[in-house]
Amino acid sequence: MSVQVRTLDDLLHAPLDADSELTTQEYLVNMGPQHPIAHGSLRVVLRLDGETVKHVIPVPGYVHRGVEKMCEHLTYRQIIPYTDRLDYLSAIMNNWAVAKTVEKAANIPTNERIDTIRTIMSELQRLQSHALWWGVTGMDLGAYTAFLYGFREREIIGEIFEETIGARLTMNYIQPGGLMYDIKPDFAQKVKNLLPYLKGCIEQYETLLSGNVIFQERLRNIGILDGKHAIALGCTGPVLRASGVPYDLRAVEPYGVYDKVNFNVVVGEVGDCWDRYYVRLEEMRESVRIVEQLIDNIPEGPHATIRYNEEIILPEGLHYGQVETARGVFGVFIASDGKNKCPIRLHFRSPNFNNLWIVTAIASGWRIADFISIQSSLDLVIPDIDR
Amino acid sequence: MGMIRSIETVTAQRVIAGKTISVSVVQRKQTPNKLSIAFNAVLGLLKGMWLTLTYFWSPEKVVTRMYPENRDTLQLTERFRGNLRFKFPNETAHKSHAALLEHITHETQTLPEVASEWIRDEDPTRWYHNCTGCSKCEEACPNASIRILTRQGEILEDREIDRFVWRLDSCMFCNACVLACPWDAIEMTGGFENAVYDRRLLVYCLNKLAGPRINLIQDEQDAAVRARMIDPRERFGGPIPMNGAGLPNLPPVALPAPPDVSTGAA
Repeated sequence: MSVQVRTLDDLLHAPLDADSELTTQEYLVNMGPQHPIAHGSLRVVLRLDGETVKHVIPVPGYVHRGVEKMCEHLTYRQIIPYTDRLDYLSAIMNNWAVAKTVEKAANIPTNERIDTIRTIMSELQRLQSHALWWGVTGMDLGAYTAFLYGFREREIIGEIFEETIGARLTMNYIQPGGLMYDIKPDFAQKVKNLLPYLKGCIEQYETLLSGNVIFQERLRNIGILDGKHAIALGCTGPVLRASGVPYDLRAVEPYGVYDKVNFNVVVGEVGDCWDRYYVRLEEMRESVRIVEQLIDNIPEGPHATIRYNEEIILPEGLHYGQVETARGVFGVFIASDGKNKCPIRLHFRSPNFNNLWIVTAIASGWRIADFISIQSSLDLVIPDIDR
Repeated sequence: MGMIRSIETVTAQRVIAGKTISVSVVQRKQTPNKLSIAFNAVLGLLKGMWLTLTYFWSPEKVVTRMYPENRDTLQLTERFRGNLRFKFPNETAHKSHAALLEHITHETQTLPEVASEWIRDEDPTRWYHNCTGCSKCEEACPNASIRILTRQGEILEDREIDRFVWRLDSCMFCNACVLACPWDAIEMTGGFENAVYDRRLLVYCLNKLAGPRINLIQDEQDAAVRARMIDPRERFGGPIPMNGAGLPNLPPVALPAPPDVSTGAA
């Protein structure tokens, strides 16, 4: 396993090695930007020898919208709906990252109720995101049934979001200093009714895919990434934890009420696609555990500590905050001049961007079908890569 | 070749970043001999197949919603963020809630001629609104989807709303305008069927009347003066880019003649 830094031009115009014995030649194939397994507009150039992948060249940028530049003209409240559109499967966690950074910099207090609801919503979103990922992974590897099962749970959790927030995908829920809406009186009961059902669904996932020999053969010992290289490549989230590094911001730097609940950080031993698969399934069980502990006693209090129209101006300087989304560490870096309502510079550290580049290190030598497994196990969301 | 028969997680303590945290390590128990592998492989396939098959005799587990067919019974939640709409406090007196929802859902579908029919048919008190034209929503909008045009009122001699222009085509339904409104004048509704054949119809006025807030009109005792405070506004029309206007290769939408706003517009 090695990582070489070369430009796209170098890679595309490098001489293609001819294999004299078999009279074959290496060739380049575009996988994407429009491809059923690309999950979005991700172009990956594969240098192939027959069906063996010699080199992988990811070419992101097909969904680039310049969100960071746009945010320089937006107030801190207006930035939040834009973060929904980065990693749209972790919209609430992305909202929280901005809110957390702004609250810390501008000394905006929160209360116990806000933190608890934020944590519950984040964990529900994590469940929703992993359910979708599970279904999509099944579909990528040829099991269409899994896709329908994954979407079933996603929709059922989506109903809860729709009742409380009013949207299913782009929530814009967590605001600096509070929440957009308070939860409804029957929210806790509805979530409590849902949890046993979700546990049953995770068992169904095990029956449908985990126990399937074809599925196992396509994931086991494929695309092994060791912990050292995972850290060196900057990957986070389940991808890093599957390689045996127990780094989870919820446990390492607790925010919200994560320091008041018991949960285990799930780690793998081998670091192959199977570990990345199974770590996510176990994380779903841990998420259910976290919600179970919190849902019974949501403290009383207001759902926002500042008025919506209150002007937020951050003090001069550099501000950084990060949260653990369903895919890894999402960080917000804000440079403020202390005078304007808008940041003068802003950067999102998105987990998918770093997670994407490990394919350059681990996919070489595997077949195209194995590359599909590797890409699925990374759980990429393309708008988060391009931003 | 192998077969992962059961997955166990072992709880342990690990140190990371100077902190001891409890982890559960995913471990695999692999079946050793070939006969066992074959047996478990077939068993795993059959189990999955069985789960799928159960849907044949228990169709109540199916959660599919037949969307276009169930339009009549479709219940959207109260907070659902669909089309932006003015709140008309007098409106529920005129229509039942169900009829109102129906009206909201299909409002954007109607042709401009139909949308302006109310001017001829209906009582204007129904369209009294809470909007003062303070532009808080315009400031809060991240996409500049809202444009507030105000005018100088004749009777009250104060700025008042002339046209509240909403661009559906660039709206991202983030709810910022509704939260920013100090007067509770707008709301997001259950309307989500927004497809039209002409994108010029995606920019339009939300207010039906140009004039002051409802309470300022209702405080006035003289009916003749009340009538002079307000002017009708159509859904489409007025000096707004793309609001029915022509585009390259597209002629203007055939609209009723717009009222003369050159004297009152901001």
